[in-house]
This record gives sequence, structure tokens and C-alpha cells, in this order.
Amino acid sequence: MINLTINGQKVQVEDGATILEAAQQADIHIPTLCYLAEVQAIGACRVCLVEIEGNRNLQASCVFPASEGLVVHTNNDRVRKARKFAVEMLISNHPMDCLACARNLNCELQSLAEELGIREVRFSGEQSEGRIDDLSPSIRRDQNKCILCRRCVTVCKDIQSVSAIFTQGRGFETRIEPAFDASLNDVACAMCGQCSLVCPVGAITEKENIEEVWEALADPTKIVAVQDAPAVRAALGEEFGFAPGALVTGKMLAAARKLGFDLVFDTNFAADLTIIEEGNELLKRVKEGGVLPLITSCSPGWVKFIEHFYPEMLPHLSTCKSPHQMLGALTKTYYAQKAGIDPKDMVVVSVMPCTAKKFECNRPEMNDSGYKDVDYVLTTRELAKMIKQAGIDFASLEDGSYDHPLGEYTGAGTIFGATGGVMEAALRTVYEVVTGKTLDNVEFTAVRGLQGIKEATVPIEGIGDVKAAVAHGLGNARKLLESIKAGAQYHFIEIMACPGGCVSGGGQPIPVNNEIRRLRAGALYQEDRDLELRKSHQNPSITRIYEEFLGAPLGEKSHHLLHTGYTARGVYKD
Amino acid sequence: MEWRAQLLVCAGAACVSSGCREIRDAIVAKITEHGLQNEVKVIETGCVGSCVIGPLALVYPEGVFYQKLTPDDAEEIVAEHLLKGKIVERLLYQDPATSEPVPYLKDISFFKNQQKIVLRNCGIIDPMNIEDYIAHDGYKALNKVLTSMTQEEVIDTIIKSGLRGRGGAGFTTGMKWKFTNQAIGDTKYVVCNADEGDPGAFMDRSVLEGDPHSVIEAMAIAGYTIGAKQGFVYVRAEYPLAIERLTWAIKQARENNFLGKNIFNKGFDFDIDIRIGAGAFVCGEETALMTSIEGKRGEPRPRPPFPAVKGLFNSPTLLNNVETYANITAIILNGSDWFASFGTEKSKGTKVFALAGNVNNTGLVEVPMGTSLGDIVYNIGGGIKNKKKFKTAQIGGPSGGCIPVQHLNIPIDYESVAEIGAIVGSGGLIITDEDTCMVDFARFFMDFIQDESCGKCPPCRIGTKRILEILQRITQGKGEEEDIDRLIELCTRIKDSALCGLGQTAPNPVLSTLRFFKHEYLEHIRDGYCRAGVCSSLFDAPCQNACPAGQNAWGYVTLISEGKFKEAIVLIKEANPFPAVCGRVCVHPCENKCRRNQLDEAVAICALKRFAADQDMNSGDSYRPPVAEPKDDQVAIIGAGPAGLTAAYFLARKGYKTTVFEALPVAGGMLAVGIPEYRLPKDILNAEIKAITDLGVEIKLNTSLGKDITTEQLFAQGFKAILMATGAHQGQKLGVPGEDAQGAVDGVTFLRDLNLKKAVNADGNIVVIGGGNVAIDAARSALRLGAKDVTILYRREKEDMPANEEEIIDAEKEGIKIQTLVAPVRIISAKGKVTGIECARMSLGKFDNSGRRRPEAIPCSEFTLSADMVIAAIGQAPDLSCLDGDGIQVTKSGAFDVDTNLATSKEGIFAAGDNVRGPATVVEAIADGKNAALSIDKFLGGDGIFKDAYHDELIKMAVTYNEEAYQKEMERIESPQIAVTKRISNFNEVVLAYPVQMAIEEAKRCLHCYRRDEE
Repeated sequence: MINLTINGQKVQVEDGATILEAAQQADIHIPTLCYLAEVQAIGACRVCLVEIEGNRNLQASCVFPASEGLVVHTNNDRVRKARKFAVEMLISNHPMDCLACARNLNCELQSLAEELGIREVRFSGEQSEGRIDDLSPSIRRDQNKCILCRRCVTVCKDIQSVSAIFTQGRGFETRIEPAFDASLNDVACAMCGQCSLVCPVGAITEKENIEEVWEALADPTKIVAVQDAPAVRAALGEEFGFAPGALVTGKMLAAARKLGFDLVFDTNFAADLTIIEEGNELLKRVKEGGVLPLITSCSPGWVKFIEHFYPEMLPHLSTCKSPHQMLGALTKTYYAQKAGIDPKDMVVVSVMPCTAKKFECNRPEMNDSGYKDVDYVLTTRELAKMIKQAGIDFASLEDGSYDHPLGEYTGAGTIFGATGGVMEAALRTVYEVVTGKTLDNVEFTAVRGLQGIKEATVPIEGIGDVKAAVAHGLGNARKLLESIKAGAQYHFIEIMACPGGCVSGGGQPIPVNNEIRRLRAGALYQEDRDLELRKSHQNPSITRIYEEFLGAPLGEKSHHLLHTGYTARGVYKD
Repeated sequence: MEWRAQLLVCAGAACVSSGCREIRDAIVAKITEHGLQNEVKVIETGCVGSCVIGPLALVYPEGVFYQKLTPDDAEEIVAEHLLKGKIVERLLYQDPATSEPVPYLKDISFFKNQQKIVLRNCGIIDPMNIEDYIAHDGYKALNKVLTSMTQEEVIDTIIKSGLRGRGGAGFTTGMKWKFTNQAIGDTKYVVCNADEGDPGAFMDRSVLEGDPHSVIEAMAIAGYTIGAKQGFVYVRAEYPLAIERLTWAIKQARENNFLGKNIFNKGFDFDIDIRIGAGAFVCGEETALMTSIEGKRGEPRPRPPFPAVKGLFNSPTLLNNVETYANITAIILNGSDWFASFGTEKSKGTKVFALAGNVNNTGLVEVPMGTSLGDIVYNIGGGIKNKKKFKTAQIGGPSGGCIPVQHLNIPIDYESVAEIGAIVGSGGLIITDEDTCMVDFARFFMDFIQDESCGKCPPCRIGTKRILEILQRITQGKGEEEDIDRLIELCTRIKDSALCGLGQTAPNPVLSTLRFFKHEYLEHIRDGYCRAGVCSSLFDAPCQNACPAGQNAWGYVTLISEGKFKEAIVLIKEANPFPAVCGRVCVHPCENKCRRNQLDEAVAICALKRFAADQDMNSGDSYRPPVAEPKDDQVAIIGAGPAGLTAAYFLARKGYKTTVFEALPVAGGMLAVGIPEYRLPKDILNAEIKAITDLGVEIKLNTSLGKDITTEQLFAQGFKAILMATGAHQGQKLGVPGEDAQGAVDGVTFLRDLNLKKAVNADGNIVVIGGGNVAIDAARSALRLGAKDVTILYRREKEDMPANEEEIIDAEKEGIKIQTLVAPVRIISAKGKVTGIECARMSLGKFDNSGRRRPEAIPCSEFTLSADMVIAAIGQAPDLSCLDGDGIQVTKSGAFDVDTNLATSKEGIFAAGDNVRGPATVVEAIADGKNAALSIDKFLGGDGIFKDAYHDELIKMAVTYNEEAYQKEMERIESPQIAVTKRISNFNEVVLAYPVQMAIEEAKRCLHCYRRDEE
């Protein structure tokens, strides 16, 4: 243990703690900006400066190791002036169009300026001339707003192992860009949107589709269907003041109706469907000696990643479309037929925790219904904005409900939103389908939680030991793929592009940290526990759709509407 | 093989680029041709240091130094020197002070004042030949360490030597070695920082190019000492020759098992790899350097952990720069006491500097720590180029600071330099002269720093940009007073909060120039004036900018070149009522700044002005400037010198009724009674004075203030304002015994009596003391009065004499002797009459505040000169005794205390000219006179602006000159002069005017460098 003094207060911390951590432990607040707990501590932004007796210069507390006997001042004149100066410098090169910014009122720079008492712009001069890159269907980058905190770079490189963007140039010309200043749309970007999640300002946001959706809703000739992914209901509340982990499914459905959506479906239904199709695909591969391990394909960021970086491993990928694309295709075929609607008059909107889904719905192969299967994808953040724009008092909404049959789901579908959820749902079904026995304990806790790579071996009569692995975050995915290339043996692997899975997807409310990840996942597991039906194959609407429409899993109609193929992309654009 | 002679060709990067390889090949060919190939060995060495005079060759055993060689010189060197033993004089170095050839390297001031430890082998050995290095005790230190020293003993030796890091920070090297030795880790690294990035610095490059093994050997010693097996040299890609030679040296060292496994059979393994950096200034910062070696973007990371604990690849790392390592083997072999015998108490050893800028000898120099800056600049650097004045030394690169003239005596060591806000740094030493604008200088460095900032932290990335913007604004004349405070705030905060050393020191160029040259910042901001003539947005042309009176030199020179003489005089007379006077006696600062100097010589602006004035005067229709509507207010001017009369001229043109009161029986002040007739004929002066009285100005002669009139009376008589322009007419005494003897006079009195036609005798031997124009005027006048022998005694050296250079030359031509480094001790007299003067010889000691060495008497050097008359021309002062009882505030030095409007403490009374400035030049008096007139105009309710009706028209005419007539190559045409024999017995004017054609030709030499915004 180390003893030090902060602002005259004695503090004892573990070896290896930083001064920032020591201060936090002593409930002394030090403002930060580039610092991101568990992800980045580089001491770049100079906002967390403190004075340490015996040190000539002020030091960044986020990186300065606490050591025995240090005497630290976090709140004297020199420190306050230096912190304020660092933020003033950023402001002097920041567009002051806060009112028109996507991050207005949810901007860390704004909060810091307020916290540090900046009341005039003392320094002004040339502003960096950055470009706006909005060619990517998922992510919009406004370089003018970038404050070069590099959180995005660290997340992209160290967490996701994608390195689509990095620091370039020197001095005032320093900027964050893809190589050769290419558009994000033209480089090996997974479009996971984790960068937008950590950006403290409005420099990286999702590419908004709000206006298109408003237009569709306003068009009397269109039947507009909405579907929402499981992770959305576990986080949407945060945008309206609910604590992280608050499950707001009912309010969300009510809000969707108030917004004017004609049909409210649940992506969970398609999650259950995915389990049936993918479970059967796994069994087929096991029985027929197909390519193993089979790897899930519900995460479009992950799919894009493997297309770029491991195209040779694409045969491992399940051919199942992601659930919302399945649901989109069924809405414009099965449901349209059933309800007697001309699918050309239908608009399908998906509310997703994900920015990569915006890319996915625009993939040319996602038109199997004869139309664009999903027309627009909104992130959780965008849905919240629409609710606010519509003047809906979210907190006081009475719970709403789904439309049937595409709104019915089991607990297995719900837990798709957390890392390990797809694996767990699949194991529940595969076990019962193969053995014909009832699974007593449906909770496979080995695949839950935030450990980077999780493994489980499940003995299933008739197959033997099924070896499964789960990875979340693309950096972990890369490690897992490398281990497979090195000879590791698995049957089934679940990969989600975002750390923690969809609950902390790139389109979710900001901020996100491991605590929030746990709370949101906890909400989904709670819903699972609360539901009567917890296995996908028990979903009566699933049974019905096979009877009425699809025929058999992996059958011809399934193949046409629910399965897809992939594109080897490589790292460089041709 | 026994060689009779060795011929060393410098192959430092500078000499390689100036073609030394071709010269070597030519010499080798000639040696073979003459059959000397078995007698003379040709060796290619590293940098000798004196890069500006390369390519170079040295012939041993004599040590003869040849400079600026071309392949054509090979035949003569071989045939004359190597074959016949005759030194080729035309290829020798010339001493800049004496212009004498200096044959031997050891006698050249640039080399003889150096002390080489780091550069001991540079320029001596062949860097591509390990045997050469071994022959110079190479790898002996490594052997000694491995065979007879423990790690602790090595560390102890280095600590005791007092060696400090030469990369800039000056941390004790031995302690760094100790910490790394003690750090826990299985793998440790030795890293050499060769990412030399300061503009103009090339110390490390030269060591790597000239003596790479000294660094390799030191790194191996370091490896042994700290327990590392691997070393890296991080060198910038811009140093291809250094990389080539180092690569080769590493290969040779491996072949000889000085690197590799089991070195000297002592079980010690060590190897070195080179890492090439892309040339980022920030990669000289240790953490950025290590990050770059690791293959990442070169950016600093926070410390702690320090490299000694967690450095390269997170392992304990010893990081020193090239120069630090280059000291190690010498310390091991010669001992710590030997090393500590060089330098000062806290800064031991030597320091290598890359001496650059406006000195005569630029290049690489190594001096003991503590050597004074002045000694480096003058003894080694050979003084400032083109006889300009030293302004500052920028030391420590962009993160360092400037040392101004008043600190020339500063010992260059870590502590002393830090005390005045600079750093020794890695060794960049850029000398600037008076033509350097310090605001622009700071802007240059800030531009560099801003470019080189890694961009990681906002204070450096954005803060330096904001500083740069302010500096740009100021140099463009758009600065505000508040900008100074903004700069200080930005600098203070950046220093406090930036992430790495680069950012923390980034504000230094600004802080340092603000510390010593704040007045230049303020001049830019308040007056839109750049005294150095650098910030071109602030003026039209450098000649005009340099003129205190703002005379539009480029305008009238162009008009003369077009044959528009009348127009030229109109333009001249806008700013100056005394063109004929100035055309003869002006010190013409305009010519010093003329851009034609960079090509050959300045345009003869002064002589052209005289031409225009004489043309006008002789035309029979002299130009008479227009006068405004008469005003009621009357102004009194005390003193009819150039300041007073200029003020009268402008006041009259503004319509004021102006009366000038003059104590002497003649008008003109010093122009009339100070300057001798042969330089300024009285009728010329009187004609220009008449042109002023023609405007309505009244001059009352023989009227003394304090005696005949008082200021109170003048106000009572209705004068609304009074200008004091009484000059500085009181000659200063020598302050030595015997000065009251008959025949001992001061120069001002002597010249005044002469000019007032009083009986002045100057027979026999005349001794004049002093070095200014008054001394020369007195000496030349004495000669003309029939003196047998005239000698000028001056206590400094000739180049220090403040007199105009052409005056000194003319005086010597006329037979006047000048003895320098001599000062009077006493005046010897017999029967009350001067018979001689006892003098002492002087030597030059430390520098005074003006940047000149202070003369000090050499003990027992006294000697006597016989003299019939001693004229002391050592200075003059204003005589303000006339002010008794007026209560006007006076400065300590006895001049009027005035504000920026030239107003004295008493309302309505202004002062201008020498009685404000002390003795100064005519053109400064004219400038003051005009400014006083404008201030008085404003005081009396006018607009305080003087704008001539013809100005714009004339400028337009000048700008649209006939470009085809422009001549590129033509030497300056000097004014015709009366032959020496015909002039020394009379007071006839010596210098004559240009004939018309000559004037036009000379005027066409103007480069028309002025700004043309319209085009």
C-alpha cells in the first residue's frame, strides 16, 4: 500500500494506482477528458493536471503513478489556470455551433467548459479546416469538431484491433483520419461505431436517418413497421433519466405507437428464428462434416471485420442473416401476405443498438423480399431523439405491446443482446432438439460476463462434447480467430463486434463503461428469467411460421429469405 | 609503408556537397602523375569544422591548411607543395581582421582557440577505416573496462568526471548510468540519440561521420556497465552519410569482435543496430525517440516511469546523445580528474557548438565549458560579417533563448546560461547581427516549433499556433498592445502544462526575446516600425525604413534614373530641408540596408541626393515648397542647428510664424561650426538656410537664451510654443593631468574657432585623441592648417572607430597616422605650453554593453609622443546652463527629459535634436525637428500631419519607371574627388558631384525592391 497526501488529506492506495485513482478513492474530483477508464490513459489532454510537490511541471494525474509520500494539490490557482488553459486552447479551435450539434447537452467539452468556469473566449485564431466525412452509411465524422483526445483511435486500434483511423500530420495540422485521408467508407472499417460511443464531442456520430423515418411516417400511403433489438430496451431509458439497467420495453412500445408506427414488431422474434436456423445449420455441419467451427453472423460489425481481415475464414460464418434482416424479409413477405398489404407500400424501420446495421441494411444482398428488406436503421440514440422531438413524456407512458405474430419471443431471443446470449440460446435449443430431453438448468453462466474470450464444453448425447467459445470486441475476435488458425478446436463460436455485446453497441446511449455493460446485460437476463418461455423452439409463433410459410428449417424458403452470402473484401480497396 | 607526407581531405557532409570528392580524385590523379603515389598518402577524413570555407585539405607533417579548393588546384598543390615544398599562398586561409594569409592550421584563430575532446579524431582519421581509429587508441578504453574495471568503477569514473548530458538537459551522465545499472530487468538497452533536429545544428552528425567508432565503443562500455546486450542508434534519415559511415563502422567492429559475442574473450556480448527516424524534431525527446524505435508514431509519453526504469520496450534503458558518448572513451583512458580539469566548477569538459549565422567563421567548434560567448564569437567566429554589429546569440536551438550584446561576457556553461533564461541545449549557436528583427526571429522559431509539434497535447498543438498567429500579426503591423500580455499568458501556461520537453520549452524564443527586446515588439505595435528592416509589411523599402527622417530614397533614386531631377528634389524636400547638406555629410544608414549590398554594393543614395540638390541649386530656379495659409500662432525656436531649422521649415510650411533665436553669430549650428568647409562648403549650407528663411522664417543671431531672452519673456511676447534645439556643443575633457596647458583643446572648440574664422594655429606635431567624426574632422583640418604631422590616437581597434569609414580612409590617404590601442596618460608641457603626450598601450579585455571590448592599459607600456597641440575629440554634451530657473526636467545625462511627443515637463516647451539625444547625426536632428514641428502643430490645435500635395503623384511616377533601362551588372560609381596633393593645403570641397550621366547610371543600379501593392 502507498500513502500519499492529496489536498492535505491522507490517502492510502494500492501499488500501481495513479494519482487520479487515488483522488477518486478519496472522493476528490479531478476533471478528465482524454482519459477513459479501462481503455485509455495517455495524459494528452492536460485537463487532469495536478501539482506534485518537487515536480517542476504540472503532471497529468491519470498517468502519474502514486508513490509513497507524494504531496499533491488538485485545486490551487496554478492547477486551475492550467486546466482552464488546456480547455480554452481546445475551445479556441472548436466550432462554437453547439446549438446545432448532435451532442448538444451531452458533450464533455461543453460540460468541462461549464465546470471550469470558462466565461469568455480569450484566445481565438485560425480554426483547423477539417472535412466532414459522411460517405459511410453508419458513421459521420466531422473533423472540425475533433479535439484529438484519441479515444476513438485507442478503441479502434487497441480494443477492436481494426485501426481504421489514426493520428496523422503534425502541429496544428494534426488530425485523426483513415490512411491517405480516405473516407471511412473506403477503408477496412467494421462500422461498429465504438468510436462514436467514446467520442466526447460531436466529431463522430452515427449517420442519422431520423429525417427519412419522419418522412415515411408522414406519408399516408406507407405502412411503417418498426422492430427493435433486445439491447435497445435495456438502455433507452438512460436517455430519459432512468438508471442504467432499467428495462423500458413497455414504454418503448408505447412510444413507438405514439410516434406513428403502424406495426410494432420485435427483433427478438427473429432471434428465436435465428436459433432454429443456425442450430440446424450447426447440426448439419456436425453431422455432414461441414466447416467447423461454425461462427455466428448476427453482428454486422463482426461480419464486416472478417470480410476485411480474415476473408479466408468466411466459410466458418453461419449463412444466417442477422435477426433484424430476417424480420425485415418476413415483414415484407409473410406478414404482408397475411395482412394483405402490398409490400411496396411497406417501410421497415429497425431500431438497433448498432451503427453497423445501417451498413448491413444497405448491402445489395439484403433485398430478398423483392424490396429492400429493412429500409432504415435507427440507433437507440436516434429513437430517443425522435421521442424527444415528438414531445412524448417517456417516463409517464403506459406500457404498450407488440403486434403479432412477429412480436412474440422467448427469453432466448432477449439475451441475444448480451455477449454469450446467442450461444446460450443456441445451446438451449440444440440440446433439446438433439437429445429430445428437457433442459433443466437453462442458464449457461460460463458464457456470460465480460471476460474477453469465454469457453464452454457442453456434453450433448448423440454428438458428444460440444466445444463452444464466445468472444466480444473485435480484438478478442481476432485473438480467437488466430487461435483457430493455430489449431484450436471448437464446434460453435459466438462473436459480437462490440465489447459486452449489443448492450454496449455503437448506437447505444453515451456513456458506456463496464459497470453500465453489466447493468444493461443484467436487465436482459432478468427479462429472460421473468419470461415463461425461455427456449426459442418453444416460441409458438415460430412453430406457426414454419407451418404456414417457411416449411422446414434450412428449407428452400428459409434459404431464400433467411440466409445470405459474404464478400471477401481485404484490407485495401481496389 | 613509410609515408613522406599525408594529405587529408575533409569529407564532412558540407565538404562532400561542395565537391571534395572531385578534389580528392584530382589530387590522387596528380600525385600519380607526378610519381608520388608511394610517398604521399591521401586520407578522407570527417568534418574539420570550418565548413564555410570548404572544400579543405591539410598537408602533414607541416599542418598546412588549404581552403576553398577546386579540382583545378590539384596540380599546383602537388607540383608546388608536395614536390617542391612551396606553400601555395593563394589557397591559404586569410585572417578576416588582417587579411593576411595564415599557412598553418595551428595558427588560424578559428582552430587555435578550440579544445578538442569530442572531436579529437574528427578531421584526423579516416572514419571508414577501423585501423585508423585503433591507431588513435581506439577500443583501448573498452578493453580497459572489460579487463580491469567493475561496473561500479566505470560508473564511479563517469560520475567523478562531472560529465553531464550533452543532449540539452545537462543531467549528470554517471547518475543516469547508475540508475540504469540498478534498475531491475532481465533485458536492458543502450540507446544513442542521434536525432539532431535543431535548425543549423550538426554536432552529432559530424561525430558520426568523422569518428563513428568513438560512439560504438562508448555504447559497448555503457552496455557492459548497465548490463545490456543490445544497443540502438536512432539517427534521422536526413543524415545519409552518417548512416553510411556508422553502418560501415558497426560492420567493421563486428568483424574485429569489438561487437558481437564474447568481446575481448571476457564473456561480454553486445551489439548495435541502427534505427532510422523520419526526421521529426520531437523524436529528439527521449520518450518519443523510444516510441519511434518501437515502431510507433514518434510521440512523447509521460514520465515517470523514466527510461532508466521503464524505457524501450518497457525495459530499463540508458539513453544518451552522441556527444555524451563521444566523451566516454577519453574519460576512461585519461581519467576523471583529467576531464574535470576542463570547464567550470559545475560544468565540466568541453562543449561542441555548431556556430552559425552572421559570423565570419561558421562551423563546428569545441570549447571548454565556461568559455565566454564573446570569445566564441570574436576569437573563433572571427567577429560579425560585413562589419555589422552583434545583436544576439540564439543558443540551445528553438527551445533555447537569445543572449543579447550586454551579456557577451557570459561564460557558456549550464548554470550561467540558464540564469539569463536560455539553455546550453544540444549546441546550436546562431549569431545574429543588427539586421535581425527579434520579433521576426521569434516568429521563425515558433513557426518551426508549431510545425514540429507532435500534436498530442493542446497547449503545444494549439497554444504555439496562437503564439505564432500573434507574432505574425505583430510583424505585419497588425499587433495590439494587449498582444504582449496575451503572449506572456500563452507562454506561461504552455510552459506549465505541456506534455513533454518540447512543448514546455516551446515558448522560450518568445519569452527570451520579450525579456531583452520588448522595445522592438512595442516599436512594431505602436510605431509600425521594424528597426532591422525585416518585417516588410511595415515599410515600402529598406532604405526608407532605415532613414530616421523617413526620406523616400527609393523614390528619388528612381526619379533621378529617369532624368526627373526636379521631381526628385520635390520628393526629397518633403521630408528634408537640407538635401545638399545631407548629400555631403549624412551617415546614410539607408545605404547600409540597401538590398543591392547582397549583390555587390549599395546604391550611392547619399551622393545621388547631393546630385539632385546641387542640380536644383544651380538651376537658377530652385524649388520652393508651397506654404499653407498663414496662421496667427507664433513659435519660437532656440538654436539654428539642423533640428531647429528643420522644425522652422515645417512650421513655416504649416503656416506658423516662426522665429529662430541663435546664440552664435552664424546659423546652422554644428553644420556651420562643427563640420569643416572641405566637407560642407559654407555657401551650400547658407543657400539651404536661405531657402528656409525664404519661407518666412526669421533668424535672430547673437541671441542667447538665458542671457538675451528667457522663455517667460518669449511667452509674454506672444509665442505660443517654444522649441529647444540647442544642440550639444560642449566638448568633453580627457580627464588626464596637464590638460590645462596651452595647446590642449577639445575638438568641438577647435572646429568652432576654425569655422568662426578665429585665429587658429596648428603648427608642428598635432595629436588628436578620439575615433569619431569630430576627431577625423579636427585632424584633417589641422593638416590643412599646415601641421607638420598629424596623428590620431584611438584606444580601441580601427574597426571600432565610430567615424564614417570613408572619412577614415580619406584621412589616411591624406597622410594622417592612426595609432590604435593607445590612450593618453598625461599631457606634457613646458612653460605652460604643450610639448608632448604620454600614452599607454591598450589591450582589449571584456566586452562592454555596446558589444565592444573594453580597452585596458597594459602595465609599463607607457611611451611619449612629442606634440605641439593635443586635440581631445572624445565626445560632446548639451549645455543646458541657459535653463537656469526655468524648472524644466533634465535627465541624468544632462539632456532634456521629453515624452514621446518631444514635449518637456513645461507646457508649451518642446525639445529636439542633440539636446535630447546627446550628440547624434544630422539626419536624426532633421527627423527630430520634423517630429517636433508636428507635435507643436498638434499642441496648437493643428492635425499634426504633414502631407505634401505632390507625394502620391511622384510615387506613382517612380513606381512606373522604365523597366527596360534597368541595369543588372554595374559596379557602384564613386563620386569624383579632388586629388590628395591638391586638397591638403586648402579647405576646398574634396568630394565632387556626379556629372549628369554618371548620376543616371548610378541611380539605375537601384533594384526597385520596394513594395508594389497595386500590381
